[in-house]
Amino acid sequence: MHIRNILAIARKDALDVLLNKTTMTLLITPIVLSILFAVITNLFGSHKTQILVYNPGNSAVVQVVSGAFSDSQVIAASSPADVASAFGPDGSHKSSPYAVGLVIPANFDVALRQGSHPQMSLYINGDDVNIQQRQLLQSAITNYSRVVADPSPPTSIITSTINPPAPTNIGQDLGTLYITTALLVSFMVSISLVGSLLVEEKEKKTLRMLMVSPASFGDVVVGKLLVGLGYQLLLSLVVMVIQGGFIGQVPLVLFFVLCGACFSLSLGLLLGSIFQSASSVGGVAGLVSIIFFIPGILVGPLFQAFQGTIVAQLIRILPSYYLADGIYNALTNKTVFSNALLDTIVVLGCTAILLLASVWTLRRQASVVAAI
Amino acid sequence: METNDLMIEAVNLSRTFGNKKAVIDMSFCVPRGEIFGLLGPNGAGKTTTIRMLTGQIDPTAGHARVAGCDVVKERAMLKRRIGVVFEDQNLYERLSARYNLAFSCWLYGLPKSRVDEALELVHLRDRAKEPIRAFSNGMKQRIMIARALLHRPPVLFLDEPGRGLDPIAAREVRQTIDHLRQEGMTILLTTHLMEEADLLCQRVGFIVNGRLVANDTPRNLKLSHGQRALAVTLDSDGAHNGALQEVTLNMDDPYDQGRLAQWIAQEKVRAIHSCEATLEDVFIEVAGVRPA
Repeated sequence: MHIRNILAIARKDALDVLLNKTTMTLLITPIVLSILFAVITNLFGSHKTQILVYNPGNSAVVQVVSGAFSDSQVIAASSPADVASAFGPDGSHKSSPYAVGLVIPANFDVALRQGSHPQMSLYINGDDVNIQQRQLLQSAITNYSRVVADPSPPTSIITSTINPPAPTNIGQDLGTLYITTALLVSFMVSISLVGSLLVEEKEKKTLRMLMVSPASFGDVVVGKLLVGLGYQLLLSLVVMVIQGGFIGQVPLVLFFVLCGACFSLSLGLLLGSIFQSASSVGGVAGLVSIIFFIPGILVGPLFQAFQGTIVAQLIRILPSYYLADGIYNALTNKTVFSNALLDTIVVLGCTAILLLASVWTLRRQASVVAAI
Repeated sequence: METNDLMIEAVNLSRTFGNKKAVIDMSFCVPRGEIFGLLGPNGAGKTTTIRMLTGQIDPTAGHARVAGCDVVKERAMLKRRIGVVFEDQNLYERLSARYNLAFSCWLYGLPKSRVDEALELVHLRDRAKEPIRAFSNGMKQRIMIARALLHRPPVLFLDEPGRGLDPIAAREVRQTIDHLRQEGMTILLTTHLMEEADLLCQRVGFIVNGRLVANDTPRNLKLSHGQRALAVTLDSDGAHNGALQEVTLNMDDPYDQGRLAQWIAQEKVRAIHSCEATLEDVFIEVAGVRPA
C-alpha cells in the first residue's frame, strides 16, 4: 500500500461524492432529520419552567434556582401558604402549572451569614423536573449557601415532591433519545456511501484502469474507507451540533461515534464487495439501514417498555443495539464500565468480523473478475 | 533484431478459464516504434492477450516481457512502463476532463503540467473544465488516450480503439494514434475493424479461437493471399458511345498478357487496376471466418 495512491483515490472520491446527486442526498438526509428532531424537541419539549417563589427578603438564591433551567419564569407568591397549596404535601398527585416552588425565609441570607441554619422549603413537580434536575437544583442551593456563609454549614432544605418522577422519564429523555436516533441515522450514510463508491468502480470498469496504474487493490479500498470515515465523522459532528449532543460524557460519546463509524464502514465495504451494481447496493443498504435504525429508536427508556419480551431479545441480537446503548448511556451520564466494555467489544468485534468477511469476498472476487 | 529492441515479446502465452482455452501458445514480438495489430472476431482472445501483457491477469503457461519487464514477476515496474486504453470508456463521468487526468497524475506522482500537455496532444485543452459526461464518444476516447500517455510510457496498449465511434470520431482517434507512431511509440492495438488495422498497423496478427494464425505486414499478407490479376476497363468493340466493358486478366497467363498488349495498341484501354486482396479477404481465407 502506498500513502500517495490512497490519498489520490480519497481526494478523487471526496469530490465525486459531492458531484453525485445520490450520495449528496444521502449526506443531507441525516442533517434534515436532525433539524426535524430539533424542531420537534423544541415544539414539544420546551416550555417555560414556572417557578413559584415566596421571597420576602429578596434573596439572590432565586436567581440561582431560575438559572438552573434554560428557560424559566419566576412568579412571586404572596405567602408561604400560596406555594404550599399550589403543590400539596410530599408524594401527592395533583396537576400544577408550576415546576418548582420555593419558600425562602425573610432573613435567609442574614441567617446564613450568622451561621444559623435557615430552613428553606423546596417544592418539585416531577412532571416537569426529573431526578437529575432535582439533584442539580438542590446542589445549586447548597452551593449558594456555602458561598454566602462559607465555611459555615449550609442551609437545610425541606424538599416536597409532587407527581414523583420515575428514575427515567420518557418525556424528559426524549431529547437524548433523538440525539441517539439521529446519530444512528447518520451511520446509515457510510453503509451506502462506501458500498456505492466501491461498486461504482466495478460497474463503470474504472477499477481496471486503477489496476494497471501504480495503485493496488488495497490502496483503492483504504482510500474509499478514508473518504467514508471523513464524511461520517463530519456528519455525526454536524448532527451532534444541531441536536445539542455535546452533553453527558462527551469523550465517551465521541468514542462510540467513532466505533459506529467503523462498524457502518465495514458493513458498507462488505456490501460493496458482494454486489456488482450501485442499485443493488442501494436497495440492500436501505434494508440493512432499517435494521440498523431500530435500536436507535428503542434504546433507553423505550427499551424498558419491551423488557422481557421477544422484541427486546431480538433487538439484543443486533450489534447496533450495543452501539445505541453505548451512545445513549454516555449522553445521559449513565455509563457503567462493564456495560460500556460490553458495548465496545460487541461493536468492534462485529466490525472486525465484517472487515474479514469483506477481505475474503474481495479476494475471491478478484479471481472471479480476472476470469471474466 | 536485437532483443532489447523488442518492446513486446510473448512466448507460448496461454490462458485458460476453467475448461475454456482463451489463448493458446501465442508467440509474437513487437519491435520498438511499431504499431502491431491483433485482429480477430469477438471472443477470439484479443482482450485476454492484452490483459496478460498488461499484468491484469497471469498467463497459465508461457511468458512475456513488455518494455523490458516480465509481466508476472515485475508487475509494479511494468505498470509504470505501459499505458492502456481500454475497450470500455472507463472515465469518471462526473469529473472534468482535467480532473480525470489530474487524478492519474497523482497516482503516478507526476507534475500537474503533464495534464495540459496531454490535453494539448489530443486537442481538448479548451474543453478541459467540462465534465466527461458532456463529451462525445470520440472525445472520451481521446481523453482515455491522453490518460494512458500522461506518464510517457514506451508501450501503449489500445483495446478496440475504434469501437462504437462514428467515422469522424474514428478518424480523429486514428490521427492521434498515427501521431504517436511518428513519435516512435510502440503500440499494440486490438481491433476487429480490418480497414482500421490496414491504415494504422505496420504488422498484424490474426487471432482465431485463441491461436495466432498469421503474423505479417498488411502488404505482405495481401500480396501473398491476393490474386495476380488486373481489372481492365475497355471501350466496347466498335462502339464509341461511351459504353464500357470490365475484363479481369490473369497476369501469369500468356494469353491474357497478349490480349492486354493488343488492347493497349488499339487504344481501347480506359483504366487498369490491380486486383489486390483486402485484409478482410485475407482474414477470411486464412482464418476461415469473418473478422466480426
